[in-house]
Amino acid sequence: MSSSSAFNDEKGGSSSVGEPEYGHDPASGGIFSSDYKRHDDLKEMLDSNKDSLKLEAMKRIVAMVARGKNASDLFPAVVKNVACKNIEVKKLVYVYLVRYAEEQQDLALLSISTFQRGLKDPNQLIRASALRVLSSIRVTIIVPIMMLAIKEAASDMSPYVRKTAAHAIPKLYSLDPEQKDQLIEVIEKLLADKTTLVAGSVVMAFEEVCPERIELIHKNYRKLCNLLIDVEEWGQVVIINMLTRYARTQFLNPNINESLLEEGGEKEFYASDDDEDDEEKKAEAAALAKRKPYVMDPDHRLLLRNTKPLLQSRNAAVVMAVAQLYFHLAPKAEVGVIAKALVRLLRSHSEVQYVVLQNVATMTIKRRGMFEPHLKSFYIRSTDPTQIKILKLEVLTNLASETNISTILREFQTYIKSMDKDFVAATIEAIGRCATNIGEVRDTCLNGLVQLLSNRDELVVAESVVVIKKLLQMQPEQHSEIIKHMAKLIDNIQVPMARASILWLIGEYCEHVPKIAPDVLRKMAKTFTNEEDIVKLQILNLAAKLYLTNSKQTKLLTQYVLNLAKYDQNYDIRDRARFIRQLIVPTDKSGALSKYAKKLFLALKPAPVLESPFKDRDHFQLGSLSHLLNTKAGGYQELPEWPDSAPDPSVRNVEVPEWSKCTSRKERKEKKVEKPFYSDSEGESGPTESADSESDSGSRSESDSEQTGSGSESEESVEESQSEEEEDEEEEKMKKKKKVDKSQPKKSESAESKIASEIQFLLSTSVAPTSSPQVTPVNNFLSSSLASDLEGLSLTDTVLAPTTIAPSASVRMYELLHRITGEGLGVEYCFNRQAFSPDPHMVAVQIHFTNNTSCETKNLHIEEPKLQSGMRIKEFPEIDMLPAGESVSVVMGIDFCDSTQAANFQLCTHTRKFFVSIQPPVGELMTPIFLTENEFKKEQTGHN
Amino acid sequence: MISQVFILSSQGDHLIYKDCILMHYSQENSLDLYLKLVGITILLSVQCPQRNKNLNFIHVRHSGLYWVVSTKDNPSPFTIIEFLNRLAALTKDYCGSLSEKSVRMNFALIYELLDEMVDYGYIQTTSTDILKNFIQTEAVTSKPFSLFDLSNVGLFGAETQQSKVAPSAAASRPIVASHGEQVRKNEIFVDVVERLSVVIGSNGVLMKADVEGEIRVKCYLPTCSEMRIGLNEEFSIGKSQLRGYGAAVRVDECSFHQAVKLDEFDTYRILKVCPSQGEQTLMQYQLSDELPCAPPFRLFPTVEKDYGSRLLIFLKLRCDLPPKSVAINVSVTVPVPKGSLSLSQELSSPEQSAELQPRSKAVLWTIPRFPGGAQLSAVFKVTLGFNAHGLYSVRSASLLEVGPISMSFELPKYTCTGLQVRFLRLSPTQPGLSQRWVRYVTHSDSYTIRI
Repeated sequence: MSSSSAFNDEKGGSSSVGEPEYGHDPASGGIFSSDYKRHDDLKEMLDSNKDSLKLEAMKRIVAMVARGKNASDLFPAVVKNVACKNIEVKKLVYVYLVRYAEEQQDLALLSISTFQRGLKDPNQLIRASALRVLSSIRVTIIVPIMMLAIKEAASDMSPYVRKTAAHAIPKLYSLDPEQKDQLIEVIEKLLADKTTLVAGSVVMAFEEVCPERIELIHKNYRKLCNLLIDVEEWGQVVIINMLTRYARTQFLNPNINESLLEEGGEKEFYASDDDEDDEEKKAEAAALAKRKPYVMDPDHRLLLRNTKPLLQSRNAAVVMAVAQLYFHLAPKAEVGVIAKALVRLLRSHSEVQYVVLQNVATMTIKRRGMFEPHLKSFYIRSTDPTQIKILKLEVLTNLASETNISTILREFQTYIKSMDKDFVAATIEAIGRCATNIGEVRDTCLNGLVQLLSNRDELVVAESVVVIKKLLQMQPEQHSEIIKHMAKLIDNIQVPMARASILWLIGEYCEHVPKIAPDVLRKMAKTFTNEEDIVKLQILNLAAKLYLTNSKQTKLLTQYVLNLAKYDQNYDIRDRARFIRQLIVPTDKSGALSKYAKKLFLALKPAPVLESPFKDRDHFQLGSLSHLLNTKAGGYQELPEWPDSAPDPSVRNVEVPEWSKCTSRKERKEKKVEKPFYSDSEGESGPTESADSESDSGSRSESDSEQTGSGSESEESVEESQSEEEEDEEEEKMKKKKKVDKSQPKKSESAESKIASEIQFLLSTSVAPTSSPQVTPVNNFLSSSLASDLEGLSLTDTVLAPTTIAPSASVRMYELLHRITGEGLGVEYCFNRQAFSPDPHMVAVQIHFTNNTSCETKNLHIEEPKLQSGMRIKEFPEIDMLPAGESVSVVMGIDFCDSTQAANFQLCTHTRKFFVSIQPPVGELMTPIFLTENEFKKEQTGHN
Repeated sequence: MISQVFILSSQGDHLIYKDCILMHYSQENSLDLYLKLVGITILLSVQCPQRNKNLNFIHVRHSGLYWVVSTKDNPSPFTIIEFLNRLAALTKDYCGSLSEKSVRMNFALIYELLDEMVDYGYIQTTSTDILKNFIQTEAVTSKPFSLFDLSNVGLFGAETQQSKVAPSAAASRPIVASHGEQVRKNEIFVDVVERLSVVIGSNGVLMKADVEGEIRVKCYLPTCSEMRIGLNEEFSIGKSQLRGYGAAVRVDECSFHQAVKLDEFDTYRILKVCPSQGEQTLMQYQLSDELPCAPPFRLFPTVEKDYGSRLLIFLKLRCDLPPKSVAINVSVTVPVPKGSLSLSQELSSPEQSAELQPRSKAVLWTIPRFPGGAQLSAVFKVTLGFNAHGLYSVRSASLLEVGPISMSFELPKYTCTGLQVRFLRLSPTQPGLSQRWVRYVTHSDSYTIRI
């Protein structure tokens, strides 16, 4: 510090060092110093030995760069410091280098060796930053060095360095596109990376370098879906956009079989939206016989399910990305979930509001029902900026329907009083649009608009006249009163557009106002010369029309007007006058056309269509810049259309790892990871509890043929079944109960019915065991150790672990016998929450034995249960032998009689007996059942 | 993909300029063209991406500065807007306060930040925790922090009325303490900010009421320790759920920052979070259509026509806050007919003022301080002038032109929903001094009374 101040004194500096005044040009030491000299002092500082001086100089240089001043002539002096030990200085030198390296290529090469050394540094941050700067130096000579560095970094240990490598790929690609093939190899390698840090960056690189190589995604698709929630937010946006495109090419349109999906009957809501639907349904009915019902690809479902929780993100970009994904990919019935999230964004900055409203406006045209419940959120606030007000108005107009029109109109009424004139004009137009769209309110609107004609504000009146003109065109016969009223207004209204509109209206419907029309023409003839061009043209039109219908009264007037127009300054008006004269005034030479004059002028004109300016926006992908601008921005990629037939879904399959084979025991036909009901972390999952976790049909295909043979019907119900329930009200239990009974196997039925009468039922009070032996039981057993395995593997596996906000924790394990007290035999148990097939009243308890001794344990079985009255135990089959170091899982059933009393029994081996007890937590005394999606929804709506 | 980033002063001067992808044409070419096209006055209105040749510009406005990004291709506009908002927030965190001056003093720092956040046009990270590892430059603050400034603690979140409330210097300093500073203040600020938007019908019926609230934390703690914020135990979300015996504090919807741990929220209403340095919003909540208390202000207007060309407006304003609370910076805007020429008023105390704003044609009545339970009245006589057709006579139409009255105000130490922070604990307790501040304020977002 002291030295630098001394330096400044020397220079007679204008600023003291303690308080550098960057407000002025930081480098201008003195008034008289020339450019050349000015940089001299900085060079001197950079050459000094003191870090503090160097730092000061670098700060000033970077400040110059930041302000856009040219500092390139300092390059040699700066580049010398690239090897500086001081990290602060080094950092700023890097910043400078990245900016100017391209301009000073030869000198920049001097620094390369420093970065190459940096790439070998043990510190990951230094490695990453060296790679970053190296790849930012845009000098073609070093392309091979960059390529090498990227390849090396792509297999670095540190995910942060790998992420930087991914970022470097598009940089190198833009520098030298010929490296594409090699770069794609690196991308392919990085795509297989399992860390969340890398995922976002590599997809960015993929999108930049080779978006057409969609096949690279196949193998990583499921991994990306599962990782998505943990990727940092900017990466999420990129991945979601990429996956949207991917899904459009790989899956079938979920709305293709509308009628089939909507069998549930609750969705007529959306059905009325599109006219296409009806046609589609008709076609559907015909094709129904031969076409297979649409079944959503499990991978498609996976994508929808894993993106849903992201609607809660605090990053608006992520929310919008998910919203557009749902809008473009989800079945119509499910799109509704995004409405709430988008409405939430409306509470954000006005910039965000603006973009959200643009998107909402487009969506409301296609899917009105989606936003109808949120109507109030679009009411205008006095503090909104005009552009936002107008967009909200647009949304409100799109949402107007027979049911809510009265509320909306009342709201509009108050808007007209606003001080913001543009907004008032837009409101009046919106009223006009509501009136055209909804027949019932047309008269009300018209009357309201006519009242506005007496408003003091000319703009309001003018806008009303224009809108009334459009409305009247639809049914002029009934409204001659209004036309008369408007004829009177011509004396007062000065706005040319409004005057023109009135004149046109009177001319068009002159037979409805036969007495007034000639009089208006008379007045207009008087003021003709002072009118605006647009009004003059309409006066000519009016004269011509009157001449044709009522020539007796208006012949002279018309002649007079035509003569005036003949000498007008504007050639359009002169032309028009000549044209009209030839057409309507019969002369000797008049051609054949004049016979048709009446038809020409008084032809029936089609009513104008008042439609939303957002009507044609939806061909742009929502949430993109192109959509916002309504023109193609550079690099815009069209969202591909759905394919007609689904490409092979098996391309996404990843090799089945070992564990899934070894577990295919008798009972474990289905592998499935379940979300815990009452795990400790439930609080966190709060907002996304509705996220459905469905049974995995991807692995279903691997299950035994015995099951798939049980008919397509049951297969479908498995597909749709929900494995997650949050409600445990009585009535729901009953339903569950019945369901479960249905899926009981036949063999246990007789045993069960014997006891059924004597015992109190576990979960419900009245249940009759039903027999439906055709349906194969779906038992989803999964040992807890496997569950934890699954978690680790779920990134690559075919098993689709439901990744929601809640961590997919495995079922909790309780200790039954510690391995020390058990003399080497460790026993744990857990409630696996599956149906216990031999007896529906029993709770399935999974017991996991581990033999930690060096010799084998034999004859593991249960003895002497000491139970409370009513409680029953179904023992597991005796385990003959458990070799040393191995472990095994079995399932036993316990009927706890709805109590939390412990079940005590003895666990016996061939040498010893251990007293153990199992006490159930309250939350585990439940029966799992399967519900179809529709049933589940019905339950949910019933309770909430 | 971002091509360039600019920070402009309110006059349109370039403060910061960064080329993310070298564009081969100088900034003057692109930005000046943009300014010429858009014009600084249009810049002032709500932004939207402006299109200009191949470049698209998107900008937002924060603290009187324009944050502009240009892009050549087709990114999601949300990404850009969100990025700019984060950039502004981070600049504020790192420089202490956000103003032209602070940006000017910290060119190097902000440039370094930008360099870390955007790599070749791709957003790398915006998280303070990660950036902390990379940023080397220290912030230069305009004035040293002193405790005396705490006497008029304002809210760092209070953007709407910032000019009227002195921003608290306590909460506006860089999050990273400079190495020279001897005493590192371990402070944490928790603000509960609510914005109220109300529409009252002409018959005095509450037509619409919305409260948007948030809990913000600004943390200066160097090490990450867990913080527990206890809210009212009666706090309930949604209509069905009711808790406790007292008057429930109810909100419709609640969303949390992703770092907030909610495992104790369901039972004890405790938010657990390890705040990272800087400012962040922990929780946002909304309450619509229903206020737990009466709306803070009731207005009883009467509009009459006087003889000739005068309009008489009687306003009686009642503050329905509890007696201990006070509203400050209250202003009432009464739109009057377009032809209004002059105003004469009768107000109840000298500290109030009223004027006719010639441009917007509205009477602005300002009340600096308005205690709860008090009632004020005012009479405005508006003289109407001439129009093109001659003298304005007071017709019934001009009575209609007295539009909906809007109010703006600020209620310190008061929340409409009744949300309170019961306690604020840090665990493990910080060694040395750690100060915790909890502040409350309610702002009017849009308070409209129709007549």
